[in-house]
Amino acid sequence: MKWIKAILSSVLTIGLIFFFNTKLGILPPLGKLLNPFHGFWANAEPTKTESEKSFSLTGLQDKVTIQFDDNHVPHIFANNTYDLFYAQGYVTAYDRLWQMELQTHAAAGRLSEIIGDRTLELDRNTRRRGMVVAAKTTLTQMMSDSVSKQILEAYSAGVNAYISSLSPKDYPIEYKILDYSPEPWEPLKSALLLKQMATTLATGDDDGQMTNVLAHYGYDVVKDLFPDYPFHENPVIPVGTKWNFEPLPTPPQPKDFIKPISNAITSLSKFSRANSSLVYNDPQAEKEVGSNNWAINGQKSATGYPILSNDPHLELSLPSIWYQIQLVGPDVNVCGASLPGAPNVISGFNEKVAWGVTNVGSDVMDWYKITFKDQTHKEYLYDGIYKPVKQVIEVIKVRGKPDVIDTVLYTHHGPIVYNEGMQSLNGRTPIGCAMRWIAHEPSNELVTFYYLNRAKNYSDYVKALSYYISPAQNFVFASAENDIALWPNGKFPIKWKEQGKFILDGSNSAYDWQGWIPHAQNPHVLNPPRGFVSSANQFSADTTYPYYLGWEFSNYSRGERINQRLTSMQQITPDSLRMLQNDNYNIHARDVLPQLLSYVSQNQLNKEQLKAYQTVAGWNKQNNPAEIGPTIFYVWWQYFSLKLWDEFRSTEDKPMRMPNQDRTVKLVTTEPTSPWIDNKETEQKETLADIATQSFRATIDTLTTKKGELNPESWAWAKYKSTTILHLSRSILPFSRKDIWIGGGRGIVNATSERNGPSWRMVVALGPNLKAYALYPGGQSGNPGSYYYDNMIDKWSKGELLDVVFLHKQTEKNERIKATWTLTH
Amino acid sequence: MILFVLILIASLLLQLFLPWWIIAPVAFAFTLWKGNSARQSFLAGFAAIFILWLGVAFITDIQNDSILSAKIAEMLFVKYSAILLIVTALIGGLVGGLSAWTGYLWKKASTK
Repeated sequence: MKWIKAILSSVLTIGLIFFFNTKLGILPPLGKLLNPFHGFWANAEPTKTESEKSFSLTGLQDKVTIQFDDNHVPHIFANNTYDLFYAQGYVTAYDRLWQMELQTHAAAGRLSEIIGDRTLELDRNTRRRGMVVAAKTTLTQMMSDSVSKQILEAYSAGVNAYISSLSPKDYPIEYKILDYSPEPWEPLKSALLLKQMATTLATGDDDGQMTNVLAHYGYDVVKDLFPDYPFHENPVIPVGTKWNFEPLPTPPQPKDFIKPISNAITSLSKFSRANSSLVYNDPQAEKEVGSNNWAINGQKSATGYPILSNDPHLELSLPSIWYQIQLVGPDVNVCGASLPGAPNVISGFNEKVAWGVTNVGSDVMDWYKITFKDQTHKEYLYDGIYKPVKQVIEVIKVRGKPDVIDTVLYTHHGPIVYNEGMQSLNGRTPIGCAMRWIAHEPSNELVTFYYLNRAKNYSDYVKALSYYISPAQNFVFASAENDIALWPNGKFPIKWKEQGKFILDGSNSAYDWQGWIPHAQNPHVLNPPRGFVSSANQFSADTTYPYYLGWEFSNYSRGERINQRLTSMQQITPDSLRMLQNDNYNIHARDVLPQLLSYVSQNQLNKEQLKAYQTVAGWNKQNNPAEIGPTIFYVWWQYFSLKLWDEFRSTEDKPMRMPNQDRTVKLVTTEPTSPWIDNKETEQKETLADIATQSFRATIDTLTTKKGELNPESWAWAKYKSTTILHLSRSILPFSRKDIWIGGGRGIVNATSERNGPSWRMVVALGPNLKAYALYPGGQSGNPGSYYYDNMIDKWSKGELLDVVFLHKQTEKNERIKATWTLTH
Repeated sequence: MILFVLILIASLLLQLFLPWWIIAPVAFAFTLWKGNSARQSFLAGFAAIFILWLGVAFITDIQNDSILSAKIAEMLFVKYSAILLIVTALIGGLVGGLSAWTGYLWKKASTK
């Protein structure tokens, strides 16, 4: 009996320990997580204390010092290039290890290893887009160049030095919650990260939807409603800029290109939103991903030297997308925003120059319908002969489940992302089509940033840009020599007009990409007469530019507002540019709201609707947080567009797309009798007044149902849009910041929408009194238990910037330096 | 009392470099050696780990201004840092208490 009791209690105790030590479903291992010695308590670091440290690291070649300022920004001083990047890897991992690993796992289609089968379809999509193949191609290129090889190996060694110093209690908290361990870093992961940026910024797969529109309505309708240049535009390169080059010939446009590739139409899959909460890079959001940058010359500035501004807009997340850093080595002293996982500074400045980036958004992803010889899919038709298909096997590890093995078919165009019979993740990727994507080209973007970090003048900048492939960026530039410039820059295929607007014929070489725009012929401008350069993802150039880059870019609104403001501003200071970064004026409302309001029949509105009508009519067109006008206008515009373009609504088996905002504005302001206004589903013939009135009533009724009767509290723009910065897991909500009080929105210079926004804001005043201001919506530490996890968010939402600590010499005394680490070899 | 002190100190020292469940063999071993009754053993094991974990977590939490505990409390649906502290201590206490109790039962079973 005694023995039985002893054994039973042993079993009970061991069972309980096992339970507290094991992750069950989404429940973390409670004993492991909660014990105060190794669990999450070990991540609850004392607030705002930086400590002096001195330690040795194997692999370092010389002494390195890292000074931390009062915002936990590291300032690295190294005596050689290897040590500089080693230290960047080390310190970035110190603050952002989990993020670095998760993002590169996502890029490699390996999330299911950590999460389980919830992310399997996402991983499958990543693999089938050839992300790993692309990263390996890029890695080969990077490793064949002695500069980038050294950088990557040093950075990796630094990250690994940090990882190997950790015991489980030191792991970032997410490892403890999800119950796994970090793996060694490798250069491939840096390449994957760059490909992930291309996924975010250089994809655009509505070719299938456009093909459906073409098949349904014909080419004349496409030409009218989906034009190749917008009604309103204010291009990146100022109108009137001369192209001082002899363009290469453009390949001929095949006669049949407007004949829709019929097979692709019925084979576009049904909408199948992934049942996972971990969907990265929602392509729906892609058109909203925008950014601003500009530079003004010495004539317009109060200092007599150029001032440069940059705010890249991305889907905001925590830990933050960017990591601020200063890198000082024998040939460099650069400061700015880096991407955790990639060496160098991406948007920043040194003593002589400053630069920043916004996305170009040219069409560099096309789809080719493949004609297979037979069901074995071993050969495909190309110019009358059959070419072999290459098979790539992808093994996806799934936590707690057997591996999933997937075979991807590759043609010379690229991978077939979804075979016939498969379901696409976003419901839009054409089935049975090969993807031709710029990110599959061998590339070495690292050297661009390496040389930019060290640039002294305009010619250094142009040389650095010549190495850059993708994702294409508008690189703004300013120098202490009083040059300002802007290059929409990347590797662009030479395309015949409208090549890639629809699904292409993969069996005919006339549809292939047939050469590249020479780098010197990329659109660019140096010191324009207007005294400033700017970009906001709009068209790179007007129709005089001799090459076709794509038919649709971001709406012109932000570019229009920025150019309007910069034209009128004089004696510009960093602070006036900071105010412009936070500008909330709604150009779209300026362009269309008065007209739209004039169409509403006020006698058809009830009391509530009339009150709302008067509110939006009296609105000052500023998307300020407390305004109600933007809430009403925003919802109304969506309802109005949906009602107007009812002919273009997607159905389950036929995804289509609506004409864009610019084309809709054109219709409202110049085509009041357009046949598209009539709703085909009703018997009566609708007028613009009917559509405007009906959609306005629906808007107010919906808002009233959701938010109560019109009131300044719940109808306020910031409340409605509820800007939220999610933790990268997308599931651990307490690590996120919800309902941030901030204005702006899509198409606003302050482009803060529900999830996207200025992910880094920087203003740099060049010249002998170099001064920089910056911040981002988050903090330097990736640890949710750190004061520095999200300490900049409140200042960011108020539109403030922080003074950047820029040290000219290691020995320079700066009272904002709080601690120094000394690393020896 | 001696049992309580022994378990507490040994657990404190060993947890600095061994996994959290080392508290179980510690509590087990000491009651196997010094346990007098089931009740006394359980209470000693429970109280030693409860107090140890509560103390360490509390000091950590103060230094951290409860930044992290507030988030984890929300994540685990216990709402307040203070409750999370108690939950933490209870988990440790329970494992410590049960292990100590098991140690005593083994002692009783093996003495004739």
